[in-house]
Amino acid sequence: MLRKIWDLFIGFTRASNLGFGGGPSLIPLVKAEAVDRYHWVDNEEFADSLAIGNALPGPIATKMAAYIGYKVAGWMGALAAIIGTIAPTIIVVVLLGSLIVKYSDSPELQAMLKAVRPVVVVLVAETAYDMGKKAFPSSSTWGIAVITVALLYFLNIHPAFIIVASMLFGWAVYGRTKK
Amino acid sequence: MLSQLWDLLIAFGRASNLGFGGGPAVIPLIKIEVVERYHWMTNSEFTDALAVGNALPGPIATKLAGYVGYQEAGWLGALVANIGVILPTALAVILLARVLMKYSNSPVLKGMLKGVRPVVVVLIAQTALDMGIGSFPNLITWGIALATVVSVFWLKLHPALIILVSMGFGLLVFR
Repeated sequence: MLRKIWDLFIGFTRASNLGFGGGPSLIPLVKAEAVDRYHWVDNEEFADSLAIGNALPGPIATKMAAYIGYKVAGWMGALAAIIGTIAPTIIVVVLLGSLIVKYSDSPELQAMLKAVRPVVVVLVAETAYDMGKKAFPSSSTWGIAVITVALLYFLNIHPAFIIVASMLFGWAVYGRTKK
Repeated sequence: MLSQLWDLLIAFGRASNLGFGGGPAVIPLIKIEVVERYHWMTNSEFTDALAVGNALPGPIATKLAGYVGYQEAGWLGALVANIGVILPTALAVILLARVLMKYSNSPVLKGMLKGVRPVVVVLIAQTALDMGIGSFPNLITWGIALATVVSVFWLKLHPALIILVSMGFGLLVFR
């Protein structure tokens, strides 16, 4: 158990401290730890944690940490994963805040961030691709995706509403057939 | 002091619990609390705080909470502000996760998850698209993206490695 809690702490610390671009940039890194490295959850469960996380407000990274941490090792696991996600960067922000204010415009830092941004974009896109492999078992699921795109881009409907609506749709349409 | 801690808890709790779309969606709400409502910082101080947050890895909302909370009320302030950001939504996620685990074999829940997964795929793809805006100012950045695709799909390199290598590359080439 202790071993699991330690792994959660380390896994989420590693993901968090390499994710440049806020919580969403952490998604591929958390996936690398939770799915590929430690096998805490499979691809679908990871997608489920994202669905629940996106249906709720607040930062996404700490919600993923809470979900996966709790699943692996209960409340202590959730706590360990959250601390791993936030503590190191908060400590750096507090201790070096004024120093970083001075250097946040430095050409070195800007050069590194400029080079890492395209990488983050590809990694997040790859996560979408990975999730997508098993998310479309039937043509009606493709329909859901098309409708989601339309709602997001043309009608500017909020993602949280789309998530809840799609779950209700799934309940009504897929939920009745027994196994 | 106690009232300050309470204010931090309420302000960051409110901002986080009204912001849908992950940390970046919470930023403008935090700004309203910090700059306009409680006057903990001026506009330009907040811009500095944001710059610090963006320079470092990890979730942005918790870094802002740490930075602002510490300035107002020391380590305890940083802690309390972060509790405001994290606790309510983390509890909600865990409660939902318990339901999910308990009923993971029910056809109803399976149906709901089957319905939501395509939506999640589209949302993540949209995140990638949003992040892509402004991330490709020149041909070299497209080259980096192409190299990343090769590293991820064919060489199966760990994302951490690719991130570190790209930052080293940026330091050499873009400075």
